[in-house]
Amino acid sequence: MKGWHVATIVVILGIIGLFYAGLGRDPRSIPSVLVGKEAPVFSGPDVQSGEILALDAYKGKVIVLNFWASWCQECRLEHQNLLAIHRQFRNYPDFVMLGIDYQDQPGDAIVFLNSFGSTYPHVRDIKGTIAIDYGVYGVPETFVIDSHGMIRFKYVGPIVGPVYTQITDQIIRPLLEGKELQR
Amino acid sequence: MKKALWVISFLLLFAHAGTLPAELRDETALDARTRDVAKTLRCTVCQNESIWDSKADLARQMREVVRERLAQGQSPEEIQAYFQSRYGDYILLEPTKSGMNWLLWTGPFVLLGVGGIILYLVLRRWVARTPAIRMEELQPLDEAHRKRIEEELKSFD
Repeated sequence: MKGWHVATIVVILGIIGLFYAGLGRDPRSIPSVLVGKEAPVFSGPDVQSGEILALDAYKGKVIVLNFWASWCQECRLEHQNLLAIHRQFRNYPDFVMLGIDYQDQPGDAIVFLNSFGSTYPHVRDIKGTIAIDYGVYGVPETFVIDSHGMIRFKYVGPIVGPVYTQITDQIIRPLLEGKELQR
Repeated sequence: MKKALWVISFLLLFAHAGTLPAELRDETALDARTRDVAKTLRCTVCQNESIWDSKADLARQMREVVRERLAQGQSPEEIQAYFQSRYGDYILLEPTKSGMNWLLWTGPFVLLGVGGIILYLVLRRWVARTPAIRMEELQPLDEAHRKRIEEELKSFD
């Protein structure tokens, strides 16, 4: 019977260890299945001009794709940082930045862009299909697509604090300079 | 005569059912199929709710995607695979029966079986340890107890 006791204790300790390891994880973080996959193509009207924009038009470029909405508080928080990212890389000929306006009223989105600033185009996701194609849970979410059209990075939440330098220095710049990402 | 008129008007009440426009009849079939698929997909912004049951905007838009894809002729499996390719296994309310997921499906039954076997073995040991009572060791009922039992039985009558 001693063997049984040892086995039981080992199993119980194993379960406790499993739960303990789970404690340290963020329950909201679910690994994205899209990183390393081809970026889904889309097209839609520009929030401000109404002109149709398509991802296909930016083939071969490094694209930063940001899902946002005017009603989203965290989007306000990151907006100046997004403008700063655009400012930092706009001189690279292969750099493109696109916003996707998600579950929003067109009027509200225009007011948001007019009051907080807008230096790159934004596409209206009218039926939410672009967001679903990108596996978006909620805004803000940011994707970086490489020159081969592959999704290389995804971040859920506002680009503030350490994520800002991570996305600029470890993702966008290496991709623009044709270097491999260090992971 | 009056009775016949009643019967005819009653039948006319249901006559339109057979003459519904074809697209409307297809619509209800599509509704049912949309519901069947939508019930298998998790609303990603809710707590354990399917996109069929949820009132969230995202769930509504996902239902629309399901409906459109069914209308295009995609199978429920293809639609589930599409959502899985975008949101991962999490989107499926029931985990797929493959790989490590078999642990989830069979685990509870395996544990129940193992528990049952352990319980059986332990009980058998307990029973084996408890000496059986032999007839000759039984004490005869003494007079005081017998009297009391008889009195109790009488009180029921």
